[in-house]
Amino acid sequence: MSDSAEKFTVELLVSNHYGVLNRITGLYARRGFNIDSLHVNETENPQRSRMLISSKGDKYIQTQMVRQLSKLHDVKSVVLMTQSTV
Amino acid sequence: MKLNGAQIVVEQLIKHGVTTVFGYPGGAVLPLYDELYKNGGSIHHVLTAHEQGAAHAADGYARASGKTGVVIATSGPGATNLVTGIANAHLDSVPLVAITGNVTVPLLGRDSFQEVDIVGITQPIVKHNFIVRDAKALEQTLNEAFYIAGSGRPGPVLVDIPKSVQSDVCEYTRERGFFEEKEKPNIHPDDIKKILSALKTGKKPYIYAGGGVIASGAEAELRELSTRLSAPVGLSMMGLTAIPDDYALNLGMTGMHGKYAASVAKSESDVLIVLGARFSDRATGNVEEYRADKTIIHIDIDRAEIGKNIHPHIEVCADVKEALTKLLAELPVMQNDEWLKRIDELKNEEHVSSNDEFNPKNIIEMTERICGGDTIIATDVGQHQMWVVQHYKFKKPRTLLTSGGLGAMGFGLGAAIGGCMANDSKRTVLFTGDGSFGMNLTELSTAVSQELPIIIIILNNGVLGLPRQWQAAFFGERYSCSTLNRKTDFAALAKAFGADGYKAEDLSQLEKILLNLQDKTPTVIDCAIGMDEKVFPMIPPGGSIRDIIVKE
Repeated sequence: MSDSAEKFTVELLVSNHYGVLNRITGLYARRGFNIDSLHVNETENPQRSRMLISSKGDKYIQTQMVRQLSKLHDVKSVVLMTQSTV
Repeated sequence: MKLNGAQIVVEQLIKHGVTTVFGYPGGAVLPLYDELYKNGGSIHHVLTAHEQGAAHAADGYARASGKTGVVIATSGPGATNLVTGIANAHLDSVPLVAITGNVTVPLLGRDSFQEVDIVGITQPIVKHNFIVRDAKALEQTLNEAFYIAGSGRPGPVLVDIPKSVQSDVCEYTRERGFFEEKEKPNIHPDDIKKILSALKTGKKPYIYAGGGVIASGAEAELRELSTRLSAPVGLSMMGLTAIPDDYALNLGMTGMHGKYAASVAKSESDVLIVLGARFSDRATGNVEEYRADKTIIHIDIDRAEIGKNIHPHIEVCADVKEALTKLLAELPVMQNDEWLKRIDELKNEEHVSSNDEFNPKNIIEMTERICGGDTIIATDVGQHQMWVVQHYKFKKPRTLLTSGGLGAMGFGLGAAIGGCMANDSKRTVLFTGDGSFGMNLTELSTAVSQELPIIIIILNNGVLGLPRQWQAAFFGERYSCSTLNRKTDFAALAKAFGADGYKAEDLSQLEKILLNLQDKTPTVIDCAIGMDEKVFPMIPPGGSIRDIIVKE
């Protein structure tokens, strides 16, 4: 990880289905990124869950994570939150 | 209409235009095989010798036809045997639907006989996968699977269907069902302005084209772009066949074993237009030097590929064909004689040896001369693969079936079977090595049973050629475990399988064999070549154009 690593959080809207958490954490594990905190809850729509995942990384890692997460079939939306956006 | 799960699978395959599937039966897919039997032949099932061969065959079928390939395997070992084939399709963006059986729903998760969690095992190597625990979800799941496999950047989708779900009866609706589609990205008018301005500023444009050009069917647009810009085209291995070999500005493959002119022209260029390619490390070498002194425009349908390995100056997430169509609508002719002259010079500097030795280049060129045209060519992985992609003159898209990203030895024979069947069982050529062929040669039985005229040319050097070449270059000629010493008689082996088998020791013998082939019989031609034939040019891993080695 480069010097410019900062804390970042992604907010995901995902299918509320077994195995989805696995697919998402698998993406982090494959690239060797530690998850600092993870929060999952069912939304107002029982078919959707909302996830908040905090991690550390530079701009490159943040962009890659958002783009890789967006590719997953079970992921419906991704919002990136960093020190400058929150 | 009430159907059982297995009937639903068969109906869905037919609905999605599937005419050929590859697979191997077993306990957990017997209900499905029973329905294939009763269905009586509207789907042709090709029984292979091993599930890995079936997966590679479905992959080869998809590459050659552009349709989604389908492979079926039973639970447990059947499913795990698919893993290499699925990973191969994943890394080369090949549309594939893999259907596996599993134990009955009540037995799931109990380490039952022949139970594995194939959804868990394949998760990192599929575009998506499903386990269907309720027959009512089967119809929609299969619609979704075919949609995911073939849309956007194609890839493999696995659908795991427990045996009890195959037997359970439910309503078959013939409706699509509801599932969300990913947004379809497209080129923005501002991107076109930025690209036009970069092209006007640049004096030496270069197009680097990958498999995305073929996947999106943008071959004509690629050629038009190259002509209008006077821009030479370098290809990734997956991009080979996107533009005919005889097109004057086609410089061939770039990268570690790419052509000299393709690599030098790329490094001299000042605007690099990248179309449907992902900058694999084998294609780029040193990324800092790769990127130096040029404006990079990257167009790809997969946003995650943009900026992953090489950070571009202009990024466009779009289907290559759609993006190029819109770009070409505004792009003037930018004739550039000075750059064209330089490209000509570089092409003339390409190192070519000319003799009548029985060497890989001459064997490949003779095969091309006799079998050429639109023949589908499959390869395995290793030195022979590099020689084929360097020397074979491809004329039509989708005529090369090769394992790019995964580099899976043993891919070739299965792929050749699939490619041959996708092409009306016309003559197909597999170039392989004695190492690669040894991995899945059991599929010779499939080629015989299906009466496929596949010519299998073994470039037999008695060694694992690429490891040996690297051991010579980087490990002080210590040939650790790369000398085979197997004494296999491949011609006799072919005959034992019911195929034809020959040994060729010079070009005239090879010519005679190639001119007298049978129509419905696979033919193995064992060609003995030197164990120290090497693949050149070579840019060592992580190197740049300054490190290129053109000959020994």
